Amino acid sequence: MNELIPLMVIVPLIAALLISAFSKFNKVTKIFAFVVAICLPLIPLLSNYGLHYFGGYEPILDNVTSFVYHPAITYSFTFLQQIFIAMIGLLTFLVIFVYLTKYKEVSGPYLFLLFLGTAAVTAMLLTDDIFHMFVFFEILALAQVGIVAASSIDYSYEMALKYMILGSIGSPIMLLGIGFLLALTGSVNVTDIATAVHNGLVDATSPVFLTSLGLIFFGWLYASGLPPFHTIKSGIYSKAEPHGAALLQSFTVISMISIVLIMHRIYSTLPIFEVLIVFFSILAMILGVSMALTQTDFRRMIGFLAVGELGFIGLGIGLGTNYAITAGLFQALNEIIITALLFIGFGAIVNATNEVDTRKLGGLLAYHPKVSLMLLIAGLAMAGVPPLSGFQSKLMLVQASLNCGFPEISILAIMVSIATFVVFVKTFYVMFLRPKPKELEVEGKEVPRAMIFAMGILLILVIGLGLFPDVVVNGISSFVGGIL
Amino acid sequence: MAQTQLAILLTSVALVVIGLYAAIFVDNIIKKIIGISFIEEGANLFIVAIGYKAGGVVPILMPGMDTSWFASNAAYPLPFGLVLTSIVIGASTLAVMLALVMVLYRRYGTLSTKVMLADTSKQEEYNE
Amino acid sequence: MLEFVLCIIIVLSAILALIQKDLLKAAILTGFSGGALAVLFQILLAPDVALTQAIVGAAIVPVFIALAVQKTQREDS
Repeated sequence: MNELIPLMVIVPLIAALLISAFSKFNKVTKIFAFVVAICLPLIPLLSNYGLHYFGGYEPILDNVTSFVYHPAITYSFTFLQQIFIAMIGLLTFLVIFVYLTKYKEVSGPYLFLLFLGTAAVTAMLLTDDIFHMFVFFEILALAQVGIVAASSIDYSYEMALKYMILGSIGSPIMLLGIGFLLALTGSVNVTDIATAVHNGLVDATSPVFLTSLGLIFFGWLYASGLPPFHTIKSGIYSKAEPHGAALLQSFTVISMISIVLIMHRIYSTLPIFEVLIVFFSILAMILGVSMALTQTDFRRMIGFLAVGELGFIGLGIGLGTNYAITAGLFQALNEIIITALLFIGFGAIVNATNEVDTRKLGGLLAYHPKVSLMLLIAGLAMAGVPPLSGFQSKLMLVQASLNCGFPEISILAIMVSIATFVVFVKTFYVMFLRPKPKELEVEGKEVPRAMIFAMGILLILVIGLGLFPDVVVNGISSFVGGIL
Repeated sequence: MAQTQLAILLTSVALVVIGLYAAIFVDNIIKKIIGISFIEEGANLFIVAIGYKAGGVVPILMPGMDTSWFASNAAYPLPFGLVLTSIVIGASTLAVMLALVMVLYRRYGTLSTKVMLADTSKQEEYNE
Repeated sequence: MLEFVLCIIIVLSAILALIQKDLLKAAILTGFSGGALAVLFQILLAPDVALTQAIVGAAIVPVFIALAVQKTQREDS
């Protein structure tokens, strides 16, 4: 059923528009949002692999050069897209479920932003057209700003404006880079550009080509929140509502991998490309963990840890072998699940105590045993403790860097994992295990059932992927073999 | 007419540089936003200049035109289509930023970035 | 010849917009720059882009900025 491929983007977009138009009718909006959210993870699972050409314009064979040209915007749907879109759909469903049960009066515009963001990342994953990706990248930036600004946390508007100003510097620069590529090759289709580059139609050492790499790379750094944007990225996580933050980090991860895969297909002939990615990834790993160590606001702490984990993904893709890229993409999938679980779990704690400063918290294990147990498992998975899913992907990354002949990088990765473990265990001890401070008043508030449900489902995925990584890894590996 | 293309490329570079300077160094938030709109205009101008063909014709096939003559003389229309989208995106981004500024002005009573956006970092210092 | 004049108008009005003390004047100068850009697009054989840019760059953007200035303050202090 190839007709379902464009529907993955169209359904959330239409739902977003309808919900914001009819947000007056509270009950109808709630039911409609719930139904659409259930459909989101099901559509990619039901759809067949294949290509979709918008407008039905099939590729044209040029008889002179015997290259194939793609005149239409092309969506390509393979196992990688399927697993990531299903995951983002599931996450959107859980987040919307938590949101709908938390508030009696739902806000139409907020649901609009959640669906819009989902549609944007889905399109970024599917598309084979670099300008199409840029358009949805901009839409995603607007949706992220809206999700941050809609939260009731102090200083969220300031953070949203800051993020937006940085974003509106970053995205025209990325557009300029796309313009350079267009000037060189006359096409915006990634397959066409890659064909032109690999067949020597474009001089790969020309300054124009290198400049386009630099400009697009800058846009990628902004989109993925690697240094120098790590502070603002962790800032927007901490200023969004916890369920919003869970979705925001998944948007970041997916926009990161979709842009970097496109860049990899175009620029993989340049040796400097892989060096750049590895350099910024290592910087992100070190800075993320060391800044997480000094934070006392636990939402910011997870924000920085999430940035550090992004470094692992970049590392895998930067190493450039089949095994390494597979490990990086598998790590991306794990990070989406684990970080979402952490954000929702800590959101439950904020909900119950109205306190985000770890110094004023303590002894919560007795009050919220279920939440703390799930958070512990998620944190251990993030740090890479066997047999959880984070362990499998990090083991693959370490092996990949050893195979590539960089034992230094694998030692560094292990050290960062240990540091992550230290940061997490320290925070866990301070928040849950040590005696409760006298000033802290834990009201007898129950954690909402919806949050427990969402965390439970994510936890099952964490343990399941840890025990049976082959379910995902084999498919990703064959996808990576296709693009290399 | 290589001179025309050169002048246009220089203009687009000038717009990007002016915009970047304003977005980074100017304190007033409205001027920062104006600078950002200049960066976007510079990028758009650059992409339109790619599609330009000196001495060519507008890429619209009128009835009665010879198709092969048209194909060799018309400007390249793909960049123009991209720029249309990009202009509209730029305008909507600008509108959202101005709306956020208007909300923040009510709280701070000033347009200075140092005052308006400083409090988030203060909050962080307080937390540490 | 016209394109060189337009290029100079665009760059000059961009610089002038950024050194104005009065933000309303800056908004109007932004409109100048956007309008000149629209004419330049017409010269560059892109009439459809020129139409859009004329509406967005010469009317909508300056009006948005002017509205924001009206709701906040006029002087750049």
